[in-house]
Amino acid sequence: MADKNLPTDGRFTRLFDHFKREWQIYAMLLPTIVWFIVFLYKPMYGLQIAFKDYSIFRGVAGSPWIGIEHFQTLFGNDQFLRAVSNTIKISALNLLFGFPAPIILALMFNEILHATYKRTAQTIVYLPHFISSVIIAGIVITAFSPTLGIVNIILGWFGLDSIYFLTQPQWFRPIFVGTGIWQEAGFGSIVFLAAIAGVNPSLYESAVVDGANRWQMMWKITIPSILPTILIMLIIRIGNVMEVSFELVILLYQPATYETADVVNTWIYRQGLQSGQYDLAAAGGLFNAVVAFVLVMTANTLSRRFSRTSLW
Amino acid sequence: MSGVNLSGIVKSYGAVQVVHGIDLDVAEKEFVVLVGPSGCGKSTTLRMIAGLEEITAGDLTIDDKRMNRIAPKDRDVAMVFQNYALYPHLNVADNMAFGLRIRKMPKAEIQTTIADVAEILGLTDYLERRPADLSGGQRQRVAMGRAIVRHPKVFLFDEPLSNLDAKLRTQMRAEIKRLHNRLGVTSVYVTHDQVEAMTLADRIVVMNDGRIEQIGTPMELFNDPANIFVAGFLGSPPMNMVNGVLTKNSAKIGATEVKLNGALANHVGREVVVGIRPEHVTLKASAKTSPLPITMDLVEPLGSEALLHARFGKQEMVFKAETKGDIAPLWNVDKVHVTTDLVKLFDAQTGQALNLRG
Amino acid sequence: MRKLSLMAALLAGSAMSTPVLADGHLQIADEPLELTIQMNHRAYPIYEEDWPVEQQARAWTNIHLKDATVGANMRTDSENTGRTEALNLMLASGNIPDIVGSSRIKDFVNQFGPEGAFVPLNDLIAEHAPNIAAYYAERPDIAAAVKAADGQMYYIPYLPDGKYGRAYWLRTDWLDALGLEVPETVEDYENVLRAFKTQDPNGNGLDDEVPFFARQWPELIRLVTLWDGRAHGSDTYHDFLVEDGKIGHGYVGEGYREGIKNLARWYAEGLIDAEIFTRGSSARDFLLSENLGGSTHDWFASTSGYNSLSSEIDGFEFKAFLPPASPSGRRIEEHRRILVKPDGWAIGHTNEHQVETIKYFDFWFTEEGRRLANFGVEGQHYDMIDGKPIFKQEFLDAGPVNRSLYQVGSQLQGRGYFQDYNYEIQWSNEFALEGIALYDTGDYLIPDFLGVAFNADEQKVYDRTWSTIRDYMLERQQGWILGNGDVEADWDGYIAQLESLGWSELMGVMQTAYDRQYGG
Repeated sequence: MADKNLPTDGRFTRLFDHFKREWQIYAMLLPTIVWFIVFLYKPMYGLQIAFKDYSIFRGVAGSPWIGIEHFQTLFGNDQFLRAVSNTIKISALNLLFGFPAPIILALMFNEILHATYKRTAQTIVYLPHFISSVIIAGIVITAFSPTLGIVNIILGWFGLDSIYFLTQPQWFRPIFVGTGIWQEAGFGSIVFLAAIAGVNPSLYESAVVDGANRWQMMWKITIPSILPTILIMLIIRIGNVMEVSFELVILLYQPATYETADVVNTWIYRQGLQSGQYDLAAAGGLFNAVVAFVLVMTANTLSRRFSRTSLW
Repeated sequence: MSGVNLSGIVKSYGAVQVVHGIDLDVAEKEFVVLVGPSGCGKSTTLRMIAGLEEITAGDLTIDDKRMNRIAPKDRDVAMVFQNYALYPHLNVADNMAFGLRIRKMPKAEIQTTIADVAEILGLTDYLERRPADLSGGQRQRVAMGRAIVRHPKVFLFDEPLSNLDAKLRTQMRAEIKRLHNRLGVTSVYVTHDQVEAMTLADRIVVMNDGRIEQIGTPMELFNDPANIFVAGFLGSPPMNMVNGVLTKNSAKIGATEVKLNGALANHVGREVVVGIRPEHVTLKASAKTSPLPITMDLVEPLGSEALLHARFGKQEMVFKAETKGDIAPLWNVDKVHVTTDLVKLFDAQTGQALNLRG
Repeated sequence: MRKLSLMAALLAGSAMSTPVLADGHLQIADEPLELTIQMNHRAYPIYEEDWPVEQQARAWTNIHLKDATVGANMRTDSENTGRTEALNLMLASGNIPDIVGSSRIKDFVNQFGPEGAFVPLNDLIAEHAPNIAAYYAERPDIAAAVKAADGQMYYIPYLPDGKYGRAYWLRTDWLDALGLEVPETVEDYENVLRAFKTQDPNGNGLDDEVPFFARQWPELIRLVTLWDGRAHGSDTYHDFLVEDGKIGHGYVGEGYREGIKNLARWYAEGLIDAEIFTRGSSARDFLLSENLGGSTHDWFASTSGYNSLSSEIDGFEFKAFLPPASPSGRRIEEHRRILVKPDGWAIGHTNEHQVETIKYFDFWFTEEGRRLANFGVEGQHYDMIDGKPIFKQEFLDAGPVNRSLYQVGSQLQGRGYFQDYNYEIQWSNEFALEGIALYDTGDYLIPDFLGVAFNADEQKVYDRTWSTIRDYMLERQQGWILGNGDVEADWDGYIAQLESLGWSELMGVMQTAYDRQYGG
């Protein structure tokens, strides 16, 4: 039983002592805090322009409030709604095909025993990640060109007519998602390879003695063991659902393919930034952020409930 | 002959040979412990039996079948790993069922088998739990359970107790022994702990540097170590060893002569290592003893006994003595009496035991 | 070698850069006066204080411009829809320099000028800028075009000179090879393109000719003028147009529908580059130098230069021809040099030397200033011969002349000045001059839409509707040409959809603004 009358140091004295003792740790924390304030929290102040008639010259504070007019504009605009739907569709395809791809790749790498071959293969699939989107788009445009593109040349071998892929709305999503996989699957596999490397090797030995073959080991040991990593990556990925890699869309789309290619961010870019309507762009961005936030919270909650894995 | 048979087993990693030709016969139902310091090749040998390492040269037979090129799963062995190798995402029942499912055992049979084994191991209440929710001892039991359910011809244990605290280790040791007595499955057990080896083994194989130093029952090894290594490895505290020279009825260590029995006449002047186990001294002189003057450094009470850390000349030695309830008198001890019959002699050059008593 | 001679010219120039006119009649300030400037000159985000032209201007006027440029305009804008990122960045930074010069500055100053960011110029011009005032007195239409909705001018524009911009071009040597005449009508043109496609004019045995191509795909849309349609109302792609004081848009006209229908047919037949929408700015370079391209619609000066390929491709001849007549017999060249560009410079609201600044702006409209802006520095880049500025031969030889001029600080679109077409004639090649002479034989040009300035309410309507409408129009346009849909079948739905996107409302504010601005 603590005696309430015992003299104790005041809260601030203790806090002060704590800081004096641990100041190095706080000093190390400082850059992160500054980064967050400067690049994340301070810009949040600017979010209010989503509810203002913003003029760059008058500034954030000087622009008049106009309520939710920008949101009414957004949701009254068919193109915006189409862009939302396109974003979700592209993201869903990305999730469906783009998310498993690095996992599968990592599992495949894990099965390669020859060290040099493995290293070479890994390097090759990591490479596209380091190429800028502009170059990637150039490669894609060239590869799918109706006259000289390798894809159409191959189609030609089978007697098929050449297709001007990049102007066909129905081809945009497959090409875009495929490009994304080609570009990022290799690099994305690194985190899963790391997770696989962390699996206790004796699990495999034990399974070998128990008579499991490689396939069974992959399904019964590797995948369950890296499942927490997979789920965390999935949650992060879901949080980025609204963030379709917009430079690549800009570089690959055409008015002819807006129907399937126009995503929220490109729409915001065209309508908002290109025409200087920052307030409308901010409203669109805020919408994106809210959707992403809800999705992450949902995914995190589901993951915590069903697999005890969660980001927080 | 059934059981496990190793003959001329060699293991090399590239140009480096780590196991230099091992010959060992493990009889059916026998419990053999491979013991030795880390890096001595005992685990490698075990893993070669399991099939986790390829055998570079030599023959391995289990139940008279040559196993060198047989896949681990077809050797009918089960292995218990040092860190248990439990699947963290499976509960206890599923962990134990893993090997059975892989082998496509019918479901009903799996269930009864697991229920039986869980009963034996006292795991019945924990079948639904995941490894993360179990204590170390329980995990160890699950690991053994997973081996037992398979009803293999041979159990292989790779330092299964080394991750447990001392108390649990003692408890589990006894449990393993009881299990073996009950199931009677041929077992090969690797440990670096000589107490485990002594307590568990039907026969102990002492290994050092990729070679077998000696094979024998625990008491054979304790009483008649084949060389300095075995003598020093088994027994706790280890045997005191000191260089000496033989006279016709004693070993002369510095200025002190320790009396010996036996035919020494032909060996006068031979340089030897004299081995005295800490237990083989008394504080009272008798006809069968020979005095050894010491300087007392420290008395460590263990309860009924105490460890005497003392110096003989410049040589540090440890002896055991009874406390009789009070250690104070022990501080005054200035000589111990060596039981001459039990003194071991080793050749100073080869380290091999000398048996001069005829 | 070229570099060397340019260096030599510059060195020689700086050695004798004593002002030719030292009488001081151009001097604006007694003491040297420093003014800050933001200059975004089209592709170049830079302003160099030691450009020879700037040094000369400084010596004459005693006004010293200090570079305060932030940001750069992105130049991925092949559709020429106008971007002012650098200006936005400058404004957002809160510091507006004394002078702000940029391409595409008009809408920017006309929006932020009335808010107070830029100084209104009407009175300043009237009182202190006799040369600019004299120009506007002569061209009230242009004076009207640069004004903001409040009737004030906020920038001094870059005024291009010369009439012609783009023309129709084709491989006349291919015509000869196939025994064809220069097309006179759209029907002829179609036959020529088809012959290019099917009769292997490059003679390599492959069906690899690309009959019609374009560096900017909206140039393909411009072909609707061959069926009496209209595409781009000014040199800004997809712009509105004005006819008889009425604002309209090409993409809702009957001729456009007819044109798109035919272009879709051409595209399906392979008469148009299959990759027209993705080939991009290298199309002309690639297709001509590979001996694949047959015809295009592009600038006189730069396109005529490709005739130098005749040294590599036997007989290569790429000549301008007159716009083919539409079925109704009209010949239109829709593209022309616009009379006034939305480029130029303005005075920032914190400028404390507004009078000196407007005088400085006026300096560039004096005889000496205009010559400096057009030709560079006398003695360094040109000489006066018979009272006319003539470029030095080594300057003409030192690579593309326009680039050389940019590099010494003349012909900058971020500066308000009146271009002198003589500067270009001197280095236009014979094919360009021949083509221009050809176009001069008839009256093919049509008036441009010079733009309108909105008040705040009109701006809102425009912002809300126009880019959505434009996106929709372009989407359908490309789709029809590529065969995703049929323009005839879709037309009523298309018009209805435009209406639901606010077409009438948009055209209403456009007309109101136009009437206000041009006194309709």
